[in-house]
Amino acid sequence: MQVLAKTARASAPRFCMRSFASSAGRCQATPIEKPVLNKEFKIYRWNPDEPASKPTLQSFTIDLNQTGPMILDALIKIKNEIDPTLTFRRSCREGICGSCAMNIDGQNTLACLCRIDRNPSKNSKIYPLPHMYIVKDLVPDLTLFYKQYKSIKPYLQNDNLPEQGEFLQSQEDRKKLDGMYECILCACCTTSCPSYWWNQDEYLGPATLMQAYRWIADSRDSYGAQRKEQLQNEMSMYRCHTIFNCARTCPKGLNPAEAIAKIKLELAAD
Amino acid sequence: MASSVILRSTLPRTFTSATGRNSLRLALQVRAASSTTQYVPGGPILKGTVNDPTEFPPPSRTHGSYHWAFERLLAASLVPMTAAAFVTSGSSYPVFDGLLGLSLVMHSHIGFDSMVVDYVHKRKFPVLGPILTWTLRSATVGVLVGVYQFNTNDIGLTELIAKVWTA
Repeated sequence: MQVLAKTARASAPRFCMRSFASSAGRCQATPIEKPVLNKEFKIYRWNPDEPASKPTLQSFTIDLNQTGPMILDALIKIKNEIDPTLTFRRSCREGICGSCAMNIDGQNTLACLCRIDRNPSKNSKIYPLPHMYIVKDLVPDLTLFYKQYKSIKPYLQNDNLPEQGEFLQSQEDRKKLDGMYECILCACCTTSCPSYWWNQDEYLGPATLMQAYRWIADSRDSYGAQRKEQLQNEMSMYRCHTIFNCARTCPKGLNPAEAIAKIKLELAAD
Repeated sequence: MASSVILRSTLPRTFTSATGRNSLRLALQVRAASSTTQYVPGGPILKGTVNDPTEFPPPSRTHGSYHWAFERLLAASLVPMTAAAFVTSGSSYPVFDGLLGLSLVMHSHIGFDSMVVDYVHKRKFPVLGPILTWTLRSATVGVLVGVYQFNTNDIGLTELIAKVWTA
């Protein structure tokens, strides 16, 4: 990159004379020289090909002025320029796919929505989602999470189909789904929940429970009683002790704790 | 959090150093088969394929909403009861004093039981879990008998706390 820029600058005057008029302005503009702002990133590394070696924190130092504003930009820069073996999930880079969920400076969040702290004296620590089995580096195994999501039947169930057209819903009923349908299943809340850490094989976790309530609250769904009956046991939902880590960590600003509280209230009033 | 870590890491070691290594290891350290997963070091063995949903335990309202509602109502009712205990004296209302003692013991039993279910559930600790559950149950019964004896034959709970307060 830099070498290319230098040669371009050296040959600029001659090149300018022979180029189109529209590109002349680009030749005259002097690029803004930003100072170097080095910051250290400490990233969790574990390679399944060497199962005997323990996970380590690997340190990378990059120039923030040559990087985009978000943690994901830094990760992509490290992967492109320093270490191509660094492994992480990413897709949409705008907080709608939920792939890049990870633990950044002690907080579960999406790397694409998390700004880099520009203080160069402090390093940034990046871990995978806590208390999950790790596939490689920053990639956790979310199989159980998806199996649990599937168990609540996250789709419309209604035996009385309307004779014609679609299910109609009042605006008030539609409003009940706001704050729940936006969930992107990034698993940030679920993996921040201590109850899920200890009992994840039985406890569903905040993300799945909020989706369970999303379908209980839906006026078009007629299987609410069955959905509620499933949760009537010691482990599936009642391991929630209103710790509120889920609401605090959610990168989309949703409140799973409130949804769980509403299920509990509906079950108690049942 | 800390207690479970200590229990898991130190207990097996102290036992194994003293007695038969393998049998107790198997019983305490290796977690037993649970309803959905079987614990093996290094990763979960999931029941069914990745496309099968997890299963729910059989529904039981006693362990579900009834338990939760009872727990919350009990906790909420303890607030006015404690306030009332400050105003009145226990010796003039012995029934109220007994009710307060019973509620306090039940409240703490539910709290401790919740800890046992969270951290030493019997699906993961097939030996230690039931031991702790029955220890808790017998302790609760013992304390209830003690409170009953104390309230009928002695000064009673509220008076005792008032005495300790002024002493």
